[in-house]
Amino acid sequence: MEERQYDLIFILRPDTPEPDIDKVIATIEHAATEKGAKIEKTEKWGRKRMAYRVARLREGFYVYMVIRSSHGEVVKELERRLKVADPVIKYLTVRLDEELKRQEKLKKHRERRAARRPRKTAPAAGTPSAPAGGSEHAAATS
Amino acid sequence: MAEEHAPQNPAPVAAASAPSAPSAPPAGAPSGPGGPPRFGGPRPQGSRPPGGPKRGKRNFVRKKKVCRFCVDKADFIDYKRAEILAPFIQERGKILPRRMTGTCARHQRWLTVAIKRAQNIALLPFAAEL
Repeated sequence: MEERQYDLIFILRPDTPEPDIDKVIATIEHAATEKGAKIEKTEKWGRKRMAYRVARLREGFYVYMVIRSSHGEVVKELERRLKVADPVIKYLTVRLDEELKRQEKLKKHRERRAARRPRKTAPAAGTPSAPAGGSEHAAATS
Repeated sequence: MAEEHAPQNPAPVAAASAPSAPSAPPAGAPSGPGGPPRFGGPRPQGSRPPGGPKRGKRNFVRKKKVCRFCVDKADFIDYKRAEILAPFIQERGKILPRRMTGTCARHQRWLTVAIKRAQNIALLPFAAEL
């Protein structure tokens, strides 16, 4: 089975002490690697104001991870662990591989089309999708 | 007054309110075409005099807005970036229609998905508080 990529975001209570936060992260990471998944990225976004109240709180500590796996059941297990973890108040897993594939395809199409047409101006404009930072929209997993 | 309505369908436009016309001509309405009764208010295309604006903000034609994402050639609308998505929802949390934002159909679909994900993760509100 080809490898899938997931975005996992979870939110912890803002008053959780730092070591507990790390403990939760470690639990998730272990659970994932046990099932043969690879953690590509773990980011702590820190305290953020939430758009609405969750568990009667207005702020939360956001953690973001990117996970790759060829087993779909990994997600179920991770979510199960997140559900039982006390400090976690919200989580969301998003499957991204199809999306990224589509993005690649679109990018290639665009590059091919730009290269095919001989342009009067410099053809360097034909690769705008290069992750040249500034474009706010083209970032997939930033 | 019964013979007013009998010969044709009662027009939803307010033209039928004039009882003085003996044989009910449909073309009495000053606003809109004298054609078959239309439902709803002015359509997004073209500027009709707002004789019966549906509801909502401005109903005149907006200048030709281009799709912001098309301009940037976006392949992916990231749900994690609330700052990009925020201009596309109302203060109340509702998603703005394409005709307000000028987004193209494809990007509007992606945008909706992204907004809903962001709402689920509390990066965007579902509904504004009072």
